[in-house]
Amino acid sequence: MGRYLARRLLQAIPMLFLISIGMFALVNIVPGGPLSGHGRSRHIKPQKAEILKRQFGLDKPLPLQYVIWLAGNDWMRVDADGDGVAESYGTRKGILRGDFGFSYSTRRPVLEEIAVRLPNTLLLMGITLTVALVIAIPVGVISAVKQYSVFDIIVTTFSFAGQAIPEFWLGLILVLIFYATLKNPVTGDPLLPAGGMYTLEAGFSLVDRINHLILPVTAGALGWIAWYSRFLRSSMLDVIHQPYVRTARGKGLRERAVIWRHALRNALIPLVTILALDIPYLFAGAVFVETIFAWPGLGRRYYQAALDRDYPMLMSMLVITAGIIILSNLLADIIYAFLDPRVQYD
Amino acid sequence: MAGKRLLTLAGVCILVSMLFAGCGPTPEPTQPPPPPADTPGQATPVPPTEAPPTEVPPTEAPEETSVVIVIPEDPTGFNGIASDTGYEKLLMELVLVGLTDIEPWGEFYLELAAEMPTLENGGVVIDEDAWTMDVTWKLRDDVYWADGEAVTADDVIFTWNAIADPEGGIWAEGLDYTDSIEKLDNYSFIVHYNTVYPNYRVQFGGENFAVWPEHYCDADQGFVAWDCNREPLSSGPYTLEEWSTGDHLTFVRNPNYYEEGKPYIDKVVVRIVPEQSVRKTLMIEGDADLDFWPTESAANDYQNAPDVEVSFSPSTRWVMRLIPNLAARGSTDPVENPHPILSDVRVRQAIRMAIDVLLITDEIFLGYSEPVWTEFFRPPYICEVPQPTYDPTSAAALLEEAGWTDTDGDGVRECHGCLNAEEGYVMSMEFMIYAEYGEELELAQQLIAEMLGEIGINLELSMAEGTVMWADYESGGIEQQGNFDLNMWDDGYPGVDPTDHIWYFYYSEAAEPDWGWNVGRWINEDADALIDETYYLDEEYRQEIFCELAQLLDEELPQILLFSAFDSAGYSTRLEGVQATVNDSITWNVADWKIKE
Repeated sequence: MGRYLARRLLQAIPMLFLISIGMFALVNIVPGGPLSGHGRSRHIKPQKAEILKRQFGLDKPLPLQYVIWLAGNDWMRVDADGDGVAESYGTRKGILRGDFGFSYSTRRPVLEEIAVRLPNTLLLMGITLTVALVIAIPVGVISAVKQYSVFDIIVTTFSFAGQAIPEFWLGLILVLIFYATLKNPVTGDPLLPAGGMYTLEAGFSLVDRINHLILPVTAGALGWIAWYSRFLRSSMLDVIHQPYVRTARGKGLRERAVIWRHALRNALIPLVTILALDIPYLFAGAVFVETIFAWPGLGRRYYQAALDRDYPMLMSMLVITAGIIILSNLLADIIYAFLDPRVQYD
Repeated sequence: MAGKRLLTLAGVCILVSMLFAGCGPTPEPTQPPPPPADTPGQATPVPPTEAPPTEVPPTEAPEETSVVIVIPEDPTGFNGIASDTGYEKLLMELVLVGLTDIEPWGEFYLELAAEMPTLENGGVVIDEDAWTMDVTWKLRDDVYWADGEAVTADDVIFTWNAIADPEGGIWAEGLDYTDSIEKLDNYSFIVHYNTVYPNYRVQFGGENFAVWPEHYCDADQGFVAWDCNREPLSSGPYTLEEWSTGDHLTFVRNPNYYEEGKPYIDKVVVRIVPEQSVRKTLMIEGDADLDFWPTESAANDYQNAPDVEVSFSPSTRWVMRLIPNLAARGSTDPVENPHPILSDVRVRQAIRMAIDVLLITDEIFLGYSEPVWTEFFRPPYICEVPQPTYDPTSAAALLEEAGWTDTDGDGVRECHGCLNAEEGYVMSMEFMIYAEYGEELELAQQLIAEMLGEIGINLELSMAEGTVMWADYESGGIEQQGNFDLNMWDDGYPGVDPTDHIWYFYYSEAAEPDWGWNVGRWINEDADALIDETYYLDEEYRQEIFCELAQLLDEELPQILLFSAFDSAGYSTRLEGVQATVNDSITWNVADWKIKE
């Protein structure tokens, strides 16, 4: 296993390198540029545009821009004052040495921008994913075990609806119902808050934090619940007709033990792949849910960076997400081995 | 077993999430650190000018008053010049002041300035021979930063020098005409101009400019990037208490504010709520007090809600307009490569006649927009240009006269003896809008296409992001490269001086790629001469020149102005003193706002 992990990690390096080249090319090929988004103003003077291009490094050929993004420019002389003479060493260290650059729109370090919002995104997405799993697993199992029952038909109907309903629309409806319509019978206040992470000026309260999580988590989790439960249902249906399950029953094990101990363990293996691929969402956030519920997460920031053509911000988030995808796939392989002793990597 | 492990994994997942999240958001440090007492060159904090009250305080402290403003996006900072989303200006007005400003009805008022320099009071001196100008500003001597330091001429000069720093990548009004600024004493300075600059009165104020503290901001960091842009030291009515990125900003009263007894409201909270319908719901439910720039439909709902009112700016600024490309697609030279359809002024006139602007403003913009047909439609420069009439029959006749007829009966005209297109060229072209405006503009686009379709002009509808439409030439900017036929967007000049705006939109030099926004490539020597003539201080003469220009623009139609977008704010009925204005941000008079008893 150790050698396998080392090999996979080594393979990840050239893969990330190639991905970063692809991303860099794609981000720069898209029409428009950061200067037109600079302050979202049309009124930028040409002389100033030249200065900004030089400051942002956009005046250099694209391959050189990539090299600087990757390895910095503190090893090469640059033209800092625009007189055409490269007279001093640059200050950028490059992403390989932990310098992700600065945001074109806020002029703040990209890592600082990410660090401010990442905890909020992890909180929301972590809880959303967990809630989705906690609900979807038993629902999927019961649906499979009681195939074609009333429960199964209802779950199937809701699953299709859950997958079809857009998060954006669902979020607005939830706000309308639980904030604008339903009121707390005692205080007369809205039943649940419309957005934000906590009540301003109210001090820390766990109940308040949970109240603020209910609507965004519901809007975000519904689609995942529908997807995971359908997936697990079909996976369970494959497994419960396998000979080893009949053997378990033949040995006189109780049905509950057969289903939850023997069948579910194998049925979960394919779900792990799906789960692993969803882990990057923990980082990237959910643009729609964050937008509707005014959640200060990374999804919204990423969306704004895309609109503004904020290349350093975009590239950093794309590369970090790519890295997480590679690692989460590796994690899926490890969990495979953990769940299924037949899987051997060495 | 696996289920248990998975549940354990889920539990760990939650715990890790909570761990990363901490016990709440991570507010950034906001209060400026107090200056060290022994820092050389820094005075010991000066107390506010008024002595502390000696009366015995009432036994019960009055209840703290607060308002919540909702805006859709996180501002990048407090710098109105560095960014142009409008939300930076909203914040800037809360904490910083300039020398002068313009109120909603177009009158100037003083902030840091002790008086307005004029020719009459000797504050403005013109050298008739060299055609240059000197302006002397005198400042109030009773304005202090929140740390007790006095606001002086050094701060104004420091701010201007930071803006003018060639490496700053910043352009501000007056920058091209200002030779130098010279300090006279702590509370006065003189500005030397290389020409007569009529807009000098708000060069150090207005909606964009605020004075920044020399002793607090680090000039080496640059005007756009300096830390004080996110952690400002206040000279205005409020100080920043907390900034929770992406969530909210909290402001409290600045005890050193120079207007005695103001601001009346203790606390201002600016909440970031991206979705308009959620902002509207918060307003109607009473959890927000002010919605800056609501859409037309939201404003309509506010007017029907019992506890919300709408403040409209007395004048409008943003004019929706058609930009006909006078050069052929992909070219920027209208003389060598004229546009086959739009280079003929009769076609442009026919387009204007065929659009029922009132129908658009009433049906799509719910009556909140008004027809506009000249750049000079608002104070102080109003020119009498006859309002065009909606007359599709005459429009069709004009197209016939211009050599555009529909001979094959397919409903779309072709060139048969037209000015700049080949025989048989079909009168079909692209009609583009920008994506960020929203649904109303899309509907307007569709309606205009239908109207022009009625007279045989076929428009293919398209949409582009603003960052693509307005990008510079090298970045593939659609307009700078001339890759369009007919575009529609809104714009208008800030403040009360249209000179710079007119230059950028209509001057011949501004038609060069990346040199301005004359992207329709209208080259007209008469217009250039008139625009040159507007750099005078004589208001009567300027009015005359602007109206001559208005006449020329009306005849030539380099842009077809349609209607003004409204400027408004929805506000809670418990709030008093809110007044929307196109001359400034909604918080221009925040110190005067009151909570009704």
